[in-house]
Amino acid sequence: MSAAMNRALPLLAAPVAFFVAFFAVPMIVVVSSSLMAGGVPSLGNYARVLFDQYHWDVLAATFRIAGLTTVACALLGYPLAYYLVRVVKSPALRRTCVILLVLPLFTSNIVRSFGWMVLLGRNGLVNDALVGVGILDRPMRFLGTELGIVIGLVYILLPFIVLAVGNALAAVDPALEDASSDLGATPFDTFRTVTFPLCLPGLMSGIVMVFTLAVSAYVTPALLSGGKITVFPMLIFQQYSTVFDVNYGGALSMTLLVMTLVLVGLAGWIGNAGASATGRKAQ
Amino acid sequence: MIARLLLRVVSWSVMAYLILPLLVIVGSSFTATSYLAFPPQGLTLDWYGRMLADNSYLAAFGTSTLLALVATAAALLLGVPAALAIARCEFPGKKFLLSLLMSPLVLPHVVLGAALLQYCAALGLMRSFTALLVGHIVIIMPFVLRSVLPQLTPEQRALEEASADLGARPMETFFLVTLPQIRSGLASGAIFAFISSWINVELSIFNTTAEMTTIPVKLFNYVQYTIDPVIAAVSSITIGVAALAIILLDLTVGLHLLSDRR
Repeated sequence: MSAAMNRALPLLAAPVAFFVAFFAVPMIVVVSSSLMAGGVPSLGNYARVLFDQYHWDVLAATFRIAGLTTVACALLGYPLAYYLVRVVKSPALRRTCVILLVLPLFTSNIVRSFGWMVLLGRNGLVNDALVGVGILDRPMRFLGTELGIVIGLVYILLPFIVLAVGNALAAVDPALEDASSDLGATPFDTFRTVTFPLCLPGLMSGIVMVFTLAVSAYVTPALLSGGKITVFPMLIFQQYSTVFDVNYGGALSMTLLVMTLVLVGLAGWIGNAGASATGRKAQ
Repeated sequence: MIARLLLRVVSWSVMAYLILPLLVIVGSSFTATSYLAFPPQGLTLDWYGRMLADNSYLAAFGTSTLLALVATAAALLLGVPAALAIARCEFPGKKFLLSLLMSPLVLPHVVLGAALLQYCAALGLMRSFTALLVGHIVIIMPFVLRSVLPQLTPEQRALEEASADLGARPMETFFLVTLPQIRSGLASGAIFAFISSWINVELSIFNTTAEMTTIPVKLFNYVQYTIDPVIAAVSSITIGVAALAIILLDLTVGLHLLSDRR
C-alpha cells in the first residue's frame, strides 16, 4: 500500500493540487457565500430561491424545455443511430455521416444557435418552406417561444444521443440478432426483445447527458428566447453579471447543481436497476 | 418493408437537420447583399475582408487560439501523470479521485464560470487570461483522461516492466515505451480538449472583458444585437476550424465512432 502510494504521489501531486486550487476551493467559496447574507450566516438566499413563485415558473419552463428536448433527441437520434450502424453497409458513407455528425459538436453553440436564429426568423427558410408547402398560411413566430428553444437545443444535443446509442449498438454482436431471426422471430420481435434491451444502457446514458446539458444550457436559450423566456442558468448569469449579488447567485448555482446531480444519480440508479433486470452490467 | 423505408426517411431527414444550419451560415457569408440572405444572392468575399480589417476579430481569434493551446498543453501535462497513477497504482481514494477529475463533465459550466469569477476576484485575478486559463484546464482535463486511460492496459504494462527489467530508468521507459503506445489516445484527447476550449462560451463568458475576449464570446455578444454577413463570415471560419480538427482526428487516430472494430 505505502509503496504504491510512494509511486503514485509524485504523479498525482500537481494534478490534485491544481484541481483543489481551481475547482474544489472555488466551489467551496460558492457554497459558503450562498450561506451568507448581509455578512452573517443565513439560509435566507435559499429561502428566496424556494419561496418565490417566479423561480418555480422559471424552473418549470427549464424542465419543460429540457424534457421535450430529451424526448425529441431520443426519438430522432435512435433511428439515425440504428440506421448508421445496422443499415448503412458502405464504410465510406458511414464515415461521411459520422464526420457530419461530429462537425456540429466541434462548432460553438453560438454559431449553431446563430444558424437557427436565421432559419427560424419571420422570413427565414423554415417559415418560407412551411408557408410555401401550405402547412402554414402565414409565417409563424418561433423566436421567443419555447418551441424555438427546443428546436435549437435538440439540434445542439442530438449528436450526443446518436453517438451514445450508436456505440452501444455497434458493441452488440449481430450474431445475436441472426440467432433470434433464425429461431423464427419477426424483425420487430428481434428488435424489441434482443436489440433494444441490449443497447438500453447506451440510450440511458445518452438521455442523461442530453437532459443535464439541456437543463444547464445558457447560450442557446439566451439567443433563441428573444428576451421573452427565462431559463434557470440565465438567472445565475444575471446575478453575477448585472445584479452582483454573489450570495444569492451562489444559492441559485447550488440549486442548479443539486438538481443536476440528483438527476444524474437517479438515472444511474435506474440504469443499474434496468441493467440488473436484463442481467447486464451497466457501463 | 415500410418500417425500413420509414427508418430511411427519418434518418436522412435528421442528417439534413444536422447540416442545414451550418450550410446556411457558410452560404450566407458569401452573399453580396448587406443583409443575411440564404441562398446567397451574388457571390463576394467582402465580408471576409471586413472581418480581416477589424482588429478586434483577429485579437479574439488570437486569444481563443492561444488559450486553447496553452490549456491543452497544461491539461496533457497534468492529465497524463494522473492517468498513469490511476491506471498503475492502487491507493485509497482512487475511485473518488477519478470522479473528482471527471466531474467537470457533469457540472453545469455556468456554475463553474460563476465560481471561478468569484474566486479569481478574491485572488485579484478577476476577468484575466489566467482566470480563463485555469477554468479551461479544469473543463478539458476529463477529455485527456477519457482518451488516455483506456490505453493504459495490463498488456501495455507488461512492456513497461520488460523495459524496466532491461535496465531502463523510469523516464526512459516513459518516453520510449509508454508514450509511443498511448500516442493515439494522446492525439484524440488533445484534439477534443483543444476544440472544447476553443468553442467554450458558458464558462468563458464570466471571465472575459470587452478588450480581452474569445471568439465565441465575442460572437455571442454581437449576435444578440446585430445579425450581418460579417458574423456569418466569422462563424464560417470557426466551422472551418472544426472541420480541420475532425479531419486531423480522422487522419491521426481515425474516427472509430459507431464501428465495432476498436
